[in-house]
Amino acid sequence: MIVNAELFVKDLPGQLVGSLEPISLLDGNIVEVVHNREKIVNHRICINVTFEIEGQEQLCRLKDVWKSKDIIISRLGSVYQTYSMEYMLIGDFDGKRIEDLIGEASGIVNLDATDIRYSSKAGNSSMRTAMVAVKTRSEEDLEMLDRFLDRKCRESGITYVRGV
Amino acid sequence: MRIFICGFGTVGQGFAEVLASRKKFLSERYGKDIIIIGAMDSRTFACDPAGLDPLSLVSRKKETGKVGGKEYSDPRDVLSECDYDVLVEVSPTDIKTGGAGLGNITCALERGKDVITVNKGPLALRYRELMDLAKKNGCLLRYEGSVGGAMPIINLCTEGLVGEKITSIRGIFNGTCNYILSKMDKGQPFDQALKEAQQLGYAETNPTNDIEGYDAACKVVILANSVFGRDVKFDDVRITGITSITDEAVAMAASRNMVIRLIGEVTESKLEVGPRLIPKGHPLSISGTLNTAQIITDLAGPVTVSGRGAGRTETASAILSDLIAIADRRLRTDGKSLHL
Repeated sequence: MIVNAELFVKDLPGQLVGSLEPISLLDGNIVEVVHNREKIVNHRICINVTFEIEGQEQLCRLKDVWKSKDIIISRLGSVYQTYSMEYMLIGDFDGKRIEDLIGEASGIVNLDATDIRYSSKAGNSSMRTAMVAVKTRSEEDLEMLDRFLDRKCRESGITYVRGV
Repeated sequence: MRIFICGFGTVGQGFAEVLASRKKFLSERYGKDIIIIGAMDSRTFACDPAGLDPLSLVSRKKETGKVGGKEYSDPRDVLSECDYDVLVEVSPTDIKTGGAGLGNITCALERGKDVITVNKGPLALRYRELMDLAKKNGCLLRYEGSVGGAMPIINLCTEGLVGEKITSIRGIFNGTCNYILSKMDKGQPFDQALKEAQQLGYAETNPTNDIEGYDAACKVVILANSVFGRDVKFDDVRITGITSITDEAVAMAASRNMVIRLIGEVTESKLEVGPRLIPKGHPLSISGTLNTAQIITDLAGPVTVSGRGAGRTETASAILSDLIAIADRRLRTDGKSLHL
């Protein structure tokens, strides 16, 4: 799930790292951090962190750790479940073609995050591989994306390999 | 119980040998012998109402290339003349027309004979018609070995897991493709891996049915019809083979701790065969020629089975399990004797 938290930490050296470290220790993935030194309340500064964490149980543990470190949780919101899938596309294409394809997909499916990696063209072959990792907010979105990519790849002669 | 074997190639001979090796077990279980009264290859046949020696049939085939001394032009004539109880149909598969196997199975079912087959073509093309014919004539059509060889999946789903709601089956249903992709994991190019598979006898000289996913698609159709009660045919499967899987695609998957495997997938609405990205350590990430399937059920959760997808004795073992199921049913339900 993706979580957004607003924290207030003491304005002392090491407090920022001290508030983010527990997320990594609980196998979370930090998506974004805003360290707002302008927003000071009771000698504490505001940190807004967006992160991905496995489930409610891990989130509760994280909250306990923050409390034990005297970190004040002023807001915990925008909590939602994400569904991830990886796709591999193999064919004669360039990066723009795939980025356009994912751009078109984002028009019909709510994509929370995308990550595209490419292989370099090997030797004389024009064949290339792209690995696309996506996160969506529903399984239905993943199914819709699967149908979209499958259809588009068949039309373009690109081999489409889905994850399980 | 009297058996007629149609097709006396690798699997037919394997079954004859298995039957000979299980003679004591079968006679103790049923109090009578189960005998082969006829066998047929592509040109010749042998028939003896008193029974034929299984190992002699195998020896004759090996020595002369023929299972019998008499030639035939229409297998239906032979099947109509011989009196048998169970037809074991193991002639070569033809996934375009159903081949001779389709005619043989139909002929036996029309006569009210039970049939065991591992022949995918007739089942992938005419499953519903054949099952309806069997039902109409009060006989059984069993086909455990048609999917996954020795891997018990059909009878597991339809008998062992009969109380479950099965929501999906995903699996590796073609050992040749899995062998090639496993070799590519180790850095071999596709062409070299295919050549090696051919040299080892895993792939045919013409490997199209395997590497284009057609063989796996037949198995997916059989599972959809038999386990999910669907009425689908080969043409309904969305098929992608493995011929366009490149070395760098395999390497890129490995860099993300994954492998590429040809997966057949069946649900209430899905019917697919295609390459998939599988995390290493997942039950479907296995290497080599093994077949494996993951059955998702509502009560038992995921059930995974694995086994040798092909082979003389392995496929014969699946036929034996069907034969025992038929013999048990005959004794248990309708009081039919074993006709010895």
